[in-house]
Amino acid sequence: MRRLAVVPSGESKFTMVNDKKVDAGRLLDEVAKWYPKAAALAPLAKAVQRGIDWLADEGRSAAAAQRLGNASPGVVVAEAFARTLLASGQFDEIQTFEREPTGKERQQIDALVRVTVPTLGVVRVREGKPDMMAAYADARAQVVVRPTGVVVWEHEEDVTHAERLPLQAFTGDGELARQELKEVLERAGQRLANEFLYAPNAGR
Amino acid sequence: MNARITPLTLFAVLVTLGGCTSLDIGYPETVANRARLASVTPRHVVVGPITDRRIDQTRIGAKPQNGDGIKTRRPVVEIVREAFVVELTKNGHVVVPAEGDIRVAADVEEFWLDAAGHDGATQYVGRVALALVVTDGRGGTTLLTRRYVGTKRVQAEADSKDTWRDAMNIALARVMRDIATDPDLVAALARRPPSARHSADAIRRRSLVEQGAVEPLVLIRGLETTMRGVSPSRAHG
Repeated sequence: MRRLAVVPSGESKFTMVNDKKVDAGRLLDEVAKWYPKAAALAPLAKAVQRGIDWLADEGRSAAAAQRLGNASPGVVVAEAFARTLLASGQFDEIQTFEREPTGKERQQIDALVRVTVPTLGVVRVREGKPDMMAAYADARAQVVVRPTGVVVWEHEEDVTHAERLPLQAFTGDGELARQELKEVLERAGQRLANEFLYAPNAGR
Repeated sequence: MNARITPLTLFAVLVTLGGCTSLDIGYPETVANRARLASVTPRHVVVGPITDRRIDQTRIGAKPQNGDGIKTRRPVVEIVREAFVVELTKNGHVVVPAEGDIRVAADVEEFWLDAAGHDGATQYVGRVALALVVTDGRGGTTLLTRRYVGTKRVQAEADSKDTWRDAMNIALARVMRDIATDPDLVAALARRPPSARHSADAIRRRSLVEQGAVEPLVLIRGLETTMRGVSPSRAHG
């Protein structure tokens, strides 16, 4: 297995995991500043918020996360995954695709890595005054060998950003929030790749 | 009845009365694999010093219900040192007490379990941060300095001791796996040629491990001396 294709797969959901009531509308307003495609969703989310209580302890979805800057969460993770594998020197060729490769592109690979980010967002990690929050992402990877379609490796990784910040830091500084989420997604890609490299016989 | 109170008993009583919980945290050999570190010619490695740089060295967290301390049964530096020994030996290197080809030292910057919430949806984040310094055997030339952070996030009951332990174990394991797959660390080890005396010995020992004739931990000179046969499948982990 020397030539891999990495492709983002599935949908991502932005969630706020907190057991306290928070001003979800305001958070969405702030998120929308750095999250261009989410701007169109903000009024809808506000309407949804009026209709339901924000039961944050259930980790209710705040908005569907379609794009993060210029890339979807899955693309950010896929690219970090590919970079980490390339740096390992164990593979001859690793390409990232936005969609499943077809035709000649598909024939030229030994295995396909599907990367999914079901959820990402902000989670409360420490109680206090103020509570401390961290960006997080839950990511999955599945390696499928061609042409048999056999799944040779699967892994789920929960990644939490090393930095803990007050909620106000996320809601008050859109660029900081965007950066924290991007970093945690890149970290998710690295971690998935490291687990793949560490797995017995993976990629060999 | 002639009951004697030993210092250990007294310590156990004090811990119990104080409401602390002790967790058995570690990085067992069964969860370690041969990884990129095994691609380097076997080295004799000195592990240490492992220095505790945590701000609060008395505990690794607080119980969500009442704030009482959560502690480890063994000192944190001992847990981390053992994790390095497991990883290195699993990858065919030989840990020696002195005069190695390489020295691996680390500062334990964090070893902490965060908790938020008080019910079945309590959010835990185990976190281990190590600052690694790899030098040549004499400690003169720095080959690599790098900080590694491992986290594990899980939602569980507020009094779930198994969850507390598992979160910390997985955070530690993730740090060790990041270290074992770091291409820069592998390159640093590869740059430092093994001494001729050490090299032949290490290759012979790695061969014994691969044949299943000896447990990797048996190879830690000065720490273990017993040898026993193991099945090949177990030896390959």
